[in-house]
Amino acid sequence: MKRRTFVQGAAASAGIAALATPHIASGEAARVLKFIPQSDLATLDPIWTTAYVTRNHAFLVFDTLYGQDDSYAAQPQMVEGATTDADGKQWTLKLRDGLKFHDGTPVLARDCVASIQRWGKRDAFGGALMAATDELSAPDDRTLVFRLKKPFPLLPDALGKTGSNICAIIPERLAKTDPFTQVTEMVGSGPYRFLADERVPGSRVAYARFADYRPRDGGTASFTAGPKIANFDRVEWNVIPDSATAAGAMQSGEMDWWENPPGDLLPLLRRDGKLKVAVQDPTGFLGYMRPNFLYPPFDNPAFRRALLPAINQADFMTAAAGSDPKLSHTGIGAFCPSSPMATDAGMAVLNGPHDLEKVRADVRASGYKGEPVVLLTGTDFPIINAIANVGADLLKRVGVNVDYQGVDWGTVVQRRAKKDPPDKGGWNVFFTYWSGLDNFNPAVDLALRGNGGGGWFGWPDMPKLEQLRTAWFDAPDAQAQKRVCAQIQQDVFDEVPFYPLGQLYQPTAYKTELEGILNGFVLFWNVRRSA
Amino acid sequence: MLAYIVRRVLATIPVMAVVAMFVFSLLYIAPGDPAAIIAGDQATPADIVRIHAQLGLDRPFLVRFADWFWHVLNGDLGTSIFTNLPVTHLIAQRVEPTVSLMLLTMVLSIVIAVPMGVLAAWKQGSWIDRLIMVNAVIGFSVPVFVIGYVLAYIFALQLDWLPVQGFTSISHGFWPFLKSLILPAVTLGGIYIALIARITRATMLEVLSQDYVRTAKSKGVGQYAVLFLHALKNAAVPIVTVIGLGVALLIGGAVVTETVFAIPGLGRLTVDAILRRDYPVIQGVVLLFSFAYVLVNLLVDLSYTFFDPRIRY
Repeated sequence: MKRRTFVQGAAASAGIAALATPHIASGEAARVLKFIPQSDLATLDPIWTTAYVTRNHAFLVFDTLYGQDDSYAAQPQMVEGATTDADGKQWTLKLRDGLKFHDGTPVLARDCVASIQRWGKRDAFGGALMAATDELSAPDDRTLVFRLKKPFPLLPDALGKTGSNICAIIPERLAKTDPFTQVTEMVGSGPYRFLADERVPGSRVAYARFADYRPRDGGTASFTAGPKIANFDRVEWNVIPDSATAAGAMQSGEMDWWENPPGDLLPLLRRDGKLKVAVQDPTGFLGYMRPNFLYPPFDNPAFRRALLPAINQADFMTAAAGSDPKLSHTGIGAFCPSSPMATDAGMAVLNGPHDLEKVRADVRASGYKGEPVVLLTGTDFPIINAIANVGADLLKRVGVNVDYQGVDWGTVVQRRAKKDPPDKGGWNVFFTYWSGLDNFNPAVDLALRGNGGGGWFGWPDMPKLEQLRTAWFDAPDAQAQKRVCAQIQQDVFDEVPFYPLGQLYQPTAYKTELEGILNGFVLFWNVRRSA
Repeated sequence: MLAYIVRRVLATIPVMAVVAMFVFSLLYIAPGDPAAIIAGDQATPADIVRIHAQLGLDRPFLVRFADWFWHVLNGDLGTSIFTNLPVTHLIAQRVEPTVSLMLLTMVLSIVIAVPMGVLAAWKQGSWIDRLIMVNAVIGFSVPVFVIGYVLAYIFALQLDWLPVQGFTSISHGFWPFLKSLILPAVTLGGIYIALIARITRATMLEVLSQDYVRTAKSKGVGQYAVLFLHALKNAAVPIVTVIGLGVALLIGGAVVTETVFAIPGLGRLTVDAILRRDYPVIQGVVLLFSFAYVLVNLLVDLSYTFFDPRIRY
């Protein structure tokens, strides 16, 4: 062999070897969890935004006073325990010993007071709690006292809620920030620390295990309750905007876990023996069609009611989640089926025959004169676009003059906030879908408000619904709450502040070597790589 | 020459000012509200109004423009509405991937396309010429993302030679850096190669029919020397012009390529900012791209003196 031939061969071999060498050595890879989130983590403050991706990030970095177990019951998390006085108008919460923030300072009761107060100014459930509170104080470093105007038995549920906005505990100095201004310094007391220096917005965020985190003693991890054991040294979120690329990254082993693969790629992922596709969140997502009560024809209750029997949830869910019956659920009323508040009251109107001829006649009889109905939808969200297309078709088939306006979601969220007439930039109806956790009960569901102009987009003025909501807060136990919820659902079908379109489940995909993934939205404690 | 460069650089100032005004106005009249996007689906209209005011988005157009423009003049492109990070910081984070991708693509494209164009002109009408031109048409016609998916499927998923996605900084080593850029550069290079190959062929055909080329051949100058030393140098001015103009193609293509390969570059920063209506980021990136484009064109103009001594500034 000539020297030159040898050198050329060696160089080529070295080149190929270098190309084939994994970037991260296997030992390091075992301690790092690489995750593809649903979207970029654009904002960090879980009080400033209600975005789910921020909520998921918040559960890594922050802890909550109460958690929620698999049965959605509140369980002590940062608190050691709580006592209430005889008339239920005073709650005393005791913090666990040894809780620390990521900056090394101890978690004090006054940090919790300030955090609760900030959260209460943004979150509906928090607002209800604070409205019922006369005084919230921290008599010592580990004790919080709620002095209430009236009993509020849902206090642990409020502080442990898992839908946006969660009551994340942050240091008092940060919690004093205006709730309408973003806190960007991420100092929490959760199981992982946010690595601000490594953040590349739109691409990557990273977290490191918080060595001083003290999980609860004993018990088992269950949703956001129980001991939060961080088994990875690092968790990296890699934003991959293109679904096909994300699927490729999972297949090639570059990523460990993909939060929300789209339906059309599930068969591909299922065929890969190294990957598992599973529905981890039984609450799923609930689709809605939301009418605008301010303008004809949806200002007319008879028109709104006339459309209800036309809603065949199976059509909407097939469009949104595909034909796999395991990925959607119909027969959905005002509440998420996983919720203890779910009820069959009044469901006959949705579950009955979908006689479109009769609906067409009822629409005419309601006084509808063929005025255009501006249907607003975000075409860049596949699920929203799918249910909106089914909705538009359905409305046309029952004789509604649909003015379909497909725009990007950024425009939808601006336009739906406008109270202008539909022909002047306003709207008549739009579509969205929410996590089932946000449809659990009247405290967390913004669509279940009837407070008119001060309410959520669509602005239904339904005094009876507001009275029932108050009655729900005042109900002494779960049975009483459920009875009120049956009345609420009936009122929803009478007044129709929204049209429930069904429930869809979002599968998640991960390497088969991962175990311990908890039920619910993506949570990063308890997850480990099998040996 | 120096006076010319100074004049051209000074001429960029009004251009940039017009771009700034145009972009700011366009964003002002475009639909969408970052406050509504920030607040999220679960927010109330009242929340959105408060955030809108907190961000200063309720101020009059001229006040906002004057405020922003004054800061730009002072080298401050503002702060991202969403991340609360300075726009200059966000751009600085993204410069390396995009510049690396574009440089590698340009080098790759020129190295491949110019010889292809020369060869096609030399073998005009032959099967080689037709093959090259068919490839050029394909390069023009096939969308960037299709090329990206096919390449990723073959070289990343099937052969496992290269990563599917992501970017590795050169600070982590040259090979990992190059590995992360090979597929994106080849993908992005498709249309650029086609463009350069076609213009090279066309100009070479024109030059090869000139008298001095025939004279060179009759004097016994070798084929290689005729093509690459005499003809190509004289054909270079339009080729370089197209290479410069093609930077705009690269910028557009980088947006798609960076999305397909999940490269955290300026293209993706722009798309994300547009979708969120993160006005300061959009304005900052567009200004930067405009400046880069003006600068490239200046460099192209200056390069003419190298290829054609008759040109003087």
